[in-house]
Amino acid sequence: MASGQKVKKKNSALNLFVAKGSVDIPFFLMLVTIVTTGLVMVFSASYTYSYYFRGGSLTIFGKQLIFTAIGIVLMLIVSRVRYEYFRYFARLAAVISVGLLVIVLFLPEVKPGFKRWINLGFTTFQPSEIAKIGLIMLLAYLLEKDSKVITGKIPSDIKVLRRISEITNGKVVIYKSFTTVILYGIIILVFAGLVYLENHVSGTVLILGIGVMMLFLGEVKNKWFYIIGAAAILLIALLIINPQILAKYAGERITAWLDKDYSPMDVRWQTNNSLYAIGSGGLTGTGLGQSKQKHLYVSEPQNDFIFAIVCEELGFIGAVAIIILFACFIYRGIKIGLRANDKFSSLLVIGICFQIGIQVALNIAVVTDFMPNTGISLPFFSAGGTSAVILLAEMGMVLSVSRSITKKE
Amino acid sequence: MKRKPTKKMALRSHIAFIGLSLFMLALVGNLFYIQIISGEKYRLKAERLQLSDTVLSAHRGAIYDANMKVIAQSASAYLVYINPSKIETDGQKALVVDGLSSILEVDRETVLKKAEKKTSGYEKILGKIDQTKKDALSTYISEHSDDKLSNIIGIDPDTKRYYPLGSFASSIVGFTGSEDVGRSGLELYYNSDLTGTSGRIITAKNAMQGAMPNDYETTHDATDGYSLVLTIDEPIQHYLEQQLVQAIDECEAKYAYGIVMDVETGAVLGMASMPDYNLNAPYTISSAKVLEDIKKLGTDEEKEQAEGDALFAQWRNRVVSDSYEPGSVFKLFVAAAGLEEGIITTESTYNCTGQIKVANYYQHCFHNTAHGVQTLHEALPYSCNTFFITLGQKLGREKFFKYFEAFGFTSKTGIDLPAEAAPKEGVTYYGVDKLGIAELSSESFGQTFQITPIQMISAISSLGNGGKLMTPYVVSKVLDADGNIIRETKPNVKRQVVSEQTANTIASLMEEVVISGTAKNAYVAGYHICGKTGTSEKLTAVGENIASFAGFAPADDPKIAILIAIDEPHGATTTGGSAAAPVAGRIFENVLAYLNITPQYSDSELESATMTAPNLVGQSTTAAAGNASKFTVRVVGSGDKVISQVPASGQSMPKGGIIVVYTEENAARETGTVPNLTGLSLTEANRAAVNAGFNIKISGTTQASEVITSYRQSVPEGTNAELGTTITVYFRSDQDVSD
Repeated sequence: MASGQKVKKKNSALNLFVAKGSVDIPFFLMLVTIVTTGLVMVFSASYTYSYYFRGGSLTIFGKQLIFTAIGIVLMLIVSRVRYEYFRYFARLAAVISVGLLVIVLFLPEVKPGFKRWINLGFTTFQPSEIAKIGLIMLLAYLLEKDSKVITGKIPSDIKVLRRISEITNGKVVIYKSFTTVILYGIIILVFAGLVYLENHVSGTVLILGIGVMMLFLGEVKNKWFYIIGAAAILLIALLIINPQILAKYAGERITAWLDKDYSPMDVRWQTNNSLYAIGSGGLTGTGLGQSKQKHLYVSEPQNDFIFAIVCEELGFIGAVAIIILFACFIYRGIKIGLRANDKFSSLLVIGICFQIGIQVALNIAVVTDFMPNTGISLPFFSAGGTSAVILLAEMGMVLSVSRSITKKE
Repeated sequence: MKRKPTKKMALRSHIAFIGLSLFMLALVGNLFYIQIISGEKYRLKAERLQLSDTVLSAHRGAIYDANMKVIAQSASAYLVYINPSKIETDGQKALVVDGLSSILEVDRETVLKKAEKKTSGYEKILGKIDQTKKDALSTYISEHSDDKLSNIIGIDPDTKRYYPLGSFASSIVGFTGSEDVGRSGLELYYNSDLTGTSGRIITAKNAMQGAMPNDYETTHDATDGYSLVLTIDEPIQHYLEQQLVQAIDECEAKYAYGIVMDVETGAVLGMASMPDYNLNAPYTISSAKVLEDIKKLGTDEEKEQAEGDALFAQWRNRVVSDSYEPGSVFKLFVAAAGLEEGIITTESTYNCTGQIKVANYYQHCFHNTAHGVQTLHEALPYSCNTFFITLGQKLGREKFFKYFEAFGFTSKTGIDLPAEAAPKEGVTYYGVDKLGIAELSSESFGQTFQITPIQMISAISSLGNGGKLMTPYVVSKVLDADGNIIRETKPNVKRQVVSEQTANTIASLMEEVVISGTAKNAYVAGYHICGKTGTSEKLTAVGENIASFAGFAPADDPKIAILIAIDEPHGATTTGGSAAAPVAGRIFENVLAYLNITPQYSDSELESATMTAPNLVGQSTTAAAGNASKFTVRVVGSGDKVISQVPASGQSMPKGGIIVVYTEENAARETGTVPNLTGLSLTEANRAAVNAGFNIKISGTTQASEVITSYRQSVPEGTNAELGTTITVYFRSDQDVSD
């Protein structure tokens, strides 16, 4: 980047804080493409809904445009921050995240029955968005710090556990790797539990997914994933057999997913209309702006179900192109992570990439009725101010790390 | 503290990425399934949600008679609907319900129920409303513009069917039901032609039932329905109907039906089945008598049942849907078969003893009359049963059935009307294998099988046109909305049934039947009517008859054929010769005159023929008396020039009749009381009329050799009428008219 050259000329005191080197160009270009496409689609998908319910075709798009601009500025600033500083902020970020997750539970409900949002007056935001990056940062920090412990065979020095070892004459040795992973598990469950208390099943699933993904990337031993995998399968099976154990709205959505003719119409209304929109697109789509299903058939077409409108307007070809673009983007991000200077930044970058990957995959799965309907937004596409700002800030972190690589080369 | 990412991390990142990619690949597969394989299905489902489809109803085609007089017509009307999803307040609801129920006169509850369907965008309230109500509703909507009723109540164009001639040709024309669909008659048979193609306005709408604020709108114009031009000729049909109504009255009959057909083409000029009904109110029972009978019934259930039956009875076109035993009329076809096969000639003799033994029992002639030695010249006019039983037996079942089939009695005629009764072997007639001697004998004089009136008139016409069996038809042309001919019915010759010679021979024999035989009451001076009567017992009602006449005229070049059937006649006249033949005669007389067919009088006819009044106006009284020497001139007033005369010049009147001439302007017309002219002989009637200062015009048989009696007069007894007026007096013979 041209600006990178200028930075070198700045005074050396700033060098401690300011990242040098050029950002990863392919990653940056793909990001720009995704953000631009996303904005165009928000405009196309939102203008009818906006017209009917927000007093003007451009209300939602305008807001999205402003937040994206703020996000881009924030991204560029963050990308200038030396990646080492992220490590220092990791624990703080986690504490803030947990704090917000707790506070939101005591604030008045923005939407009846759901304590997911904090109303800032000019906008609302979801603490769970911050919690995701908070958890990624914290786990990246811990996994780097405890790297040896996790992969090694160091017996635990916790008194009680040492005692167990003594009593059983060393037959049962509890290693530090075990206790550490248990601790991580507790941390993940605290995050997940708090999100679940918000009555936010999809958020909980995402937090759990991100947490497990971080443990996997952080070289936690294989056997743990067998256990987690088995537990996940059991849990899913249990939910399918007996959806009532979840909150009513969530359980009903599983029922509606299993039974395509589930009759309280409004439960499947959103999914059905999403399918009608996708199907209407055919191979080449109806053309940009030409969606008919966005005329209040797909509820809030600019949010979680924006991909349905993408499919309708851009067709199968457009939809697949966007999926491939996301895949390449994520792969490029992983490459950046694997070339990072240390384990923290590596885990941070790859974690962020997988956070996006998981969200993209789950969002499309929901929109195409591949999974029960749950509120997962499509990164960079779904309209939402705070989400856009936070995602772009995360991209700033990835770009910052990428500078350290280019600088080295 | 800093540790470089390890190879294990790289491996796991790749594994995770591959896992993610595989999941995305599955999603792409799922997308492929939804968008490419099932895309059409989903697109259609989406369209059903998105599009609001408004039908533009096509104008239903008209129905015209042969002279392009309108029989059925669709006029613009309106349809009112509401969009309940737009009702926001209780006040609006109340206005909608009150307004619609009072203006359109619909049940308040019904409107309320529809208004409460909040999710619906369209609820039809009432169709076929006229301009006045539509205007009243429009005013109501604009009066309440503050309540935005125009968003809720909608008015669409609709059509309404009108039948300007009321009950005219009702059994042929039929009527339409809901949604403008033909329910009976031509309205049903030609429904698809008349309907046309509805147009559609397809408008995109959003999920809130509102039209979208952009122009996703496609209009397919409606194509108006085709119009029908009938072969039915309004004056002929009208006269037929009028005569049938009179016949029901005079013969105290249950039903009467008749057909007037163009002998050459098979085109139906008139067809009626009485009592009929008003096409504008098909669900109203037209017969006062039937209504009275229903009132007498006990329970409501019985009444309801009887009302339903009465409606179906009045809608029924008996000419094509009813079967009857033709009786003696059928003898014509046995005679034709005998002549065609060379089994008899017109001069072959047979000795009738009044009865004949067939198998184990005797068949008789009517009243057991022994007709003695006779040829066809006597056997047909006197309708001798034994003659035709013998002839049938001589023909044998093979040949008999061959002609039975050839004259079209085993198949539908194919007339373009719905619900034609289908002949069924073993049910309505005997198949050739089942024609034993008993069956053959009884069929030979028209008993033990059933045919439809339309089959009969087609067969009779074939005797009048030189042996060609034609397909009868009612619609001559189908026109599009601009009057272009889309289809035209060409007369269709089904087959040559018998030779032209045989047909002509039978025709001349039929004229003898009218001159001197059982059909003499169908006689019309100058028109050489050919005909045959029949009286048959009804199988469905014990002791009841169907009296019929079938024939055509004029004998030398037949133009029209007429079939008249009087169903369940009572009183004095119950046979074909006494009940049906006079009706046919009157229709022949009028229709032939209407068709401008010049009468050909025989010498004897000329003798008694009516004359026409000369023009005396402008002449001096003396000159007038001289010029009208064949008449009695009665001068009124003291002037010396004739200013006006009764009857007017050119009017028909008898020789020696009275002409009243007025010689003063504004002279008071002389009037007198019309005397009774019925129940008299020809001479008596004439004398009575002249004595009272009136003239008579003779209608019906006037053969001097016969004893004829007047049975009707055109101006009722006791009427105060102008002197000199011509009163038509109808005569008939009561002698030898039973067959």
